[in-house]
Amino acid sequence: MKFRAKIVDAACLNHFTRVSNMIAKLAKTCSLRISPDKLNFILSDKLASGGVSMWCELEQENFFSEFQMEGVSAENNEIYLELTSENLSRALKTAQNARALKIKLTNKHFPCLTVSVELFSSSSSSRIVTHDIPIKVISNSVSIYLPALKTMKSVVEKMKNISNHLVIEANLNGELNLKIETELVCVTTHFKDLGNPPSCNTSQDRRPEDMAEVHVDIKKLLQFLAGQQVTPTRALCNIVSNRIVHFDLLHEDVSLQYFIPALS
Amino acid sequence: MPASSVAVLKCWMNGSQVKVFGKAVQTVARVSEALWLDPSEKGLALRSVNSCHSTYGYVLFSPVFFQHYQWSASATVTDNDIPLNLNCKLAIKSILPIFRCLTSLERNVEKCRIFTRSDKCKVVFQFFCRHGLKRTHNVSFEESQPLKTLLEKNMCTNLLMINPRLLTEAIVLLTSNQEDVTFAVTPGNFCLKNSSEESLDLTSSVYSEMFFGPEEFDFFQVGFDTEITFCFKELKGILTFSEAIHAPISIYFDLPGKVQYNFLKCSYCPSENECYFCHLFRPVILSIDDMLLEANFILATLSDYPSKASSPQSLCLSQARRSDWTLSSAKASKSRNSQAPESISRTAAKRLFPKDPSKSSSTVETKRASVNGDDISEVPETVVSDTEAGPGSSHPTKD
Repeated sequence: MKFRAKIVDAACLNHFTRVSNMIAKLAKTCSLRISPDKLNFILSDKLASGGVSMWCELEQENFFSEFQMEGVSAENNEIYLELTSENLSRALKTAQNARALKIKLTNKHFPCLTVSVELFSSSSSSRIVTHDIPIKVISNSVSIYLPALKTMKSVVEKMKNISNHLVIEANLNGELNLKIETELVCVTTHFKDLGNPPSCNTSQDRRPEDMAEVHVDIKKLLQFLAGQQVTPTRALCNIVSNRIVHFDLLHEDVSLQYFIPALS
Repeated sequence: MPASSVAVLKCWMNGSQVKVFGKAVQTVARVSEALWLDPSEKGLALRSVNSCHSTYGYVLFSPVFFQHYQWSASATVTDNDIPLNLNCKLAIKSILPIFRCLTSLERNVEKCRIFTRSDKCKVVFQFFCRHGLKRTHNVSFEESQPLKTLLEKNMCTNLLMINPRLLTEAIVLLTSNQEDVTFAVTPGNFCLKNSSEESLDLTSSVYSEMFFGPEEFDFFQVGFDTEITFCFKELKGILTFSEAIHAPISIYFDLPGKVQYNFLKCSYCPSENECYFCHLFRPVILSIDDMLLEANFILATLSDYPSKASSPQSLCLSQARRSDWTLSSAKASKSRNSQAPESISRTAAKRLFPKDPSKSSSTVETKRASVNGDDISEVPETVVSDTEAGPGSSHPTKD
């Protein structure tokens, strides 16, 4: 996994700092998803059911003059991190009048996001301040092809009468389960032989049968499923345990991405 | 004290001198709850030491700093030929309010007079202000001998001299709330950083570092690669003072493991092994040398031994713990050093009266005269209790 990015424009730097400050005010910890075109900040604070969950997306080319990333695998080209939001905003605070800002993923004793600020200095040499922000790399992530959306929709519709809270889980053996659980009853629908997108998940030492699961608000899932009128050319879902589920649909030449953050 | 020997201090300052003097008072006041006014023929010194002897502050104003300086202690030496001290210990809360608004003092004060006599227990601060206003403060003091040190800064391996503004700006950029700051030097550069932790989770602080090249220093001498860690807030106070008087700050420090090297001698230590400054945590000396004044702040640093596990996470935290163990504070002054040096640990105090007296190893107990407090004329008593003596023969330690 690799990530390097650089900001040289003062306005972009200020803007990025402001985004980071806003996130720091909203949640203590946040998840950061890095993909080739975007950065997403996802709030993963404990939220009461019915509370607000936040999702913030930045097109990387609007901010960074240089941006390189290499995800976990070719198919799954993204990086998922968790960090303390205030650490990032404080580090960026030192970059107020910086010449350049570099961010990269490093591993010094423990995984870090290293923010390196190049300041204008009175002497001829520029001053460099580095901040190593400790992070947690979230790697429990499974990609799987979805079953027929119509089937999923009818299953979920019936489940919504029983509970608001649904668990989606999947593994690398092509198995996907939708589960609800109440005091009186548990209902699970199993989908088998779905197939997983090819990936070179050699970095993860997980067994193929291990499930990645996420708890979501059933209404949000239903809203997504209800909107699908036409069978897509390709439909897959990516589950990051306890963080988020990401649906990636391709209709001819139209791509649709739908993200549902996990409930607390 | 012999009735015939009276020492008199008289000094006068103008408004801008008062501002500098006041700034020095504020800086030395950060060290502990009391400061000593210590005049001598070399000038007027302000001294303070904190209770666990990990910080020592000293500012000496030379006689030429003042409009007028008079310290007459001649013909008043004691029998042992040691010059008379004023032994003036002031509570911070008495003196700090006098020098509170320095900018307005500078503007309004035309002349400030400080005077005292060693036979009176008061220092008088008089401000002659504009519009004929005169303000007088009579501050009582406690008689107590100040802690003096003999600095041999030139023996240090490493010396850096820098414009304090640069360090102040750098410290602002170290974003975490950690209490300690680390200086890491090599012959090629200087690095300011947080003390490194081995923690492995999201809640650990951000680790920041910043490099300076030798060209940014007024003077850069590094003997060997060295790293020292000490308390952040103490450094900030001294940097502020240094900036206020527009003088560069000099930083003296030495190698780890050079603990045997005594480049300070403390008037309180009967032996090198018992003084905190001399022995345990090799100190860093932050020094400001102006033509008119000299300031030295000696800070203990975290011992830089390989086994980080044994060293406390934060120096400031460990200082609180340190007050619970041996403080070499029961000292007779060197002039009447007929007794063997004694020190006692507070934790040992709990064991002074063990259930089984025969089990106690020989413990040395004294009635402690703490450095910060009591009249030095109180003679420490010695009782050595060995396995034979019961607890009844010992004196309880004083807090």
